[in-house]
Amino acid sequence: MAGGPFHLTDQERYRFDLQGYLVVPAALGATEVDACNRAVDAVAGTPAATEGMLGWPAPHREPFRRLLVHPAVVARLNELCGVRFRLDHGPRLLAGGDGTGAELQGGGEPFSPAAWYHQQNGRIFASAVTAAWQLGGEGGMCVVPGSHKAVEPAPAGVRAGGDRGAAMDVVRELPTRAGDLVLFAEAVTHGGRRGNGADDRRMVLYTYTARAVVAHAGRLFLPEEIWGDWTRELTPEQRAVLHGPGVDAAGRLPLLESDGATVRVRGADRGPRGGPT
Amino acid sequence: MTDQERYLWDLSGYLILRGVLDQAETDAANAAIDHFAASIERGADNTLAKDSRSLRGTGRPTLHGLLRLAPPHCEPFRRMLAHPAVAMRLNAMCQPGFRLDHGPLLIAGVKGTEGFTLHGEGEPFRPSVGYHGRNGASYCAGVTVQWQLRDVAAGDGGFACVPGSHKSRYPKPDGVRTADDHRGTVVQPAMRAGDVLFFMDGALTHGTLPWRGAGERRSILFKYASRCAVRQWPDPAQAEPESFWDPAFVDGMTPEQRAVMHGPNSGRSDLVPALTVDADGTVRAVRPQR
Repeated sequence: MAGGPFHLTDQERYRFDLQGYLVVPAALGATEVDACNRAVDAVAGTPAATEGMLGWPAPHREPFRRLLVHPAVVARLNELCGVRFRLDHGPRLLAGGDGTGAELQGGGEPFSPAAWYHQQNGRIFASAVTAAWQLGGEGGMCVVPGSHKAVEPAPAGVRAGGDRGAAMDVVRELPTRAGDLVLFAEAVTHGGRRGNGADDRRMVLYTYTARAVVAHAGRLFLPEEIWGDWTRELTPEQRAVLHGPGVDAAGRLPLLESDGATVRVRGADRGPRGGPT
Repeated sequence: MTDQERYLWDLSGYLILRGVLDQAETDAANAAIDHFAASIERGADNTLAKDSRSLRGTGRPTLHGLLRLAPPHCEPFRRMLAHPAVAMRLNAMCQPGFRLDHGPLLIAGVKGTEGFTLHGEGEPFRPSVGYHGRNGASYCAGVTVQWQLRDVAAGDGGFACVPGSHKSRYPKPDGVRTADDHRGTVVQPAMRAGDVLFFMDGALTHGTLPWRGAGERRSILFKYASRCAVRQWPDPAQAEPESFWDPAFVDGMTPEQRAVMHGPNSGRSDLVPALTVDADGTVRAVRPQR
């Protein structure tokens, strides 16, 4: 593992476990920030302006490909997610007021199979961690520190970010500036900043997962794509359990419901299918 | 899933259902296996027993591709795939959206077939197969469902496990791994043809005892996973960056960038490089020495 600034310090490990996030100040220099902003400006106004940076035409994709495996990220994710962590989705750009005031998401309860947090015998296992790079403006997101370990659901008022001024004031806005890096567990309750700030905010977010965890399904998802054409012979119920891993953005995953004696695809316009007789 | 089943599942890390298949159903599955008996492959002796003294024996017979056997022989196994008794319980154990990760396969045994050293455990924790019990719900990333096609009496051998080990916070001692000195922690449940066993594959310490039964061992194993966990792919190439993403997304990437673009995977350390960071901030993609 690295020395110098490129490793997870004991203090960072403590703070991430305690609070569910880390801020790495000035992880990017002005030159790197400028390169990203120039690329964003060059692509502005096109349909792909806020996502898919890794596939942008060269040279605009290069600054974002460098962020993908930036040493400040790699050194820390090797410990937080485990070696051979992977990009799950992103990067995506949040600019101006994007996400401002939206309901906060995440939290330890209900447990999310895609975004959970576990600590055991001195090791951290964060199934999903987002790296948020600040490219412009100040501030941009807020978190509820410690909520990655919550075993009670967040009250509606906290999710709305509206507990400001309440006795506990658990929602914390992060005072980040251009060049800063925020690493937060997807299990921590988080969201865009609460108030109206200047519209020069720019953040680019990469969500990584542990190597065996997947939130967003890949390009191959249908049973015939994963297992082969022979799966077309199967019943809808049998095909349902042969889809690829992850959650499909197109909503193509059928779910099964069963009372133990019958099984059917949930919501399907067909009668229940009995068990083998 | 009954309250008693939930309790036993959380407590023990495995669950047995009695008499899920009737005689006609087990007969049909056994007939299919008999039909393809010539295709059953036997492994080399003591491949699975490794360094254990207690588990030594002859190579284990297996038959793969059961869902793709020529009709009608595939049908008994296809009916097991989304059987109501399984679907209802996997909805509770893995949560809705569970999927078949790999398998099914026949694991067979004749008198003297070797055992399999015990594997899986609560420590170290492994995300691909980890178990979390939370507020009355089970979130198990990997569950294997084993259908018994022949009776297994106490002392016959076959599936064995360490009940409760999915919650252990200590690595299993070597005497448990080899079953040479397990001090009573390893149990081998008796089952009848038609019974179904669910176990937390990878979180529960489990393995196989040498087969000592008078008859043949016949177990059909389906390896399920929760929606957001991956144990292995039918074809490892499906997790390559160009397969998982739009190829344009990864075109021209450096080895270090490609390293984080693989699809979800476990047990592919020989295919997916790890990233290291030098003191000066240089990131390197490193493949393990084989």
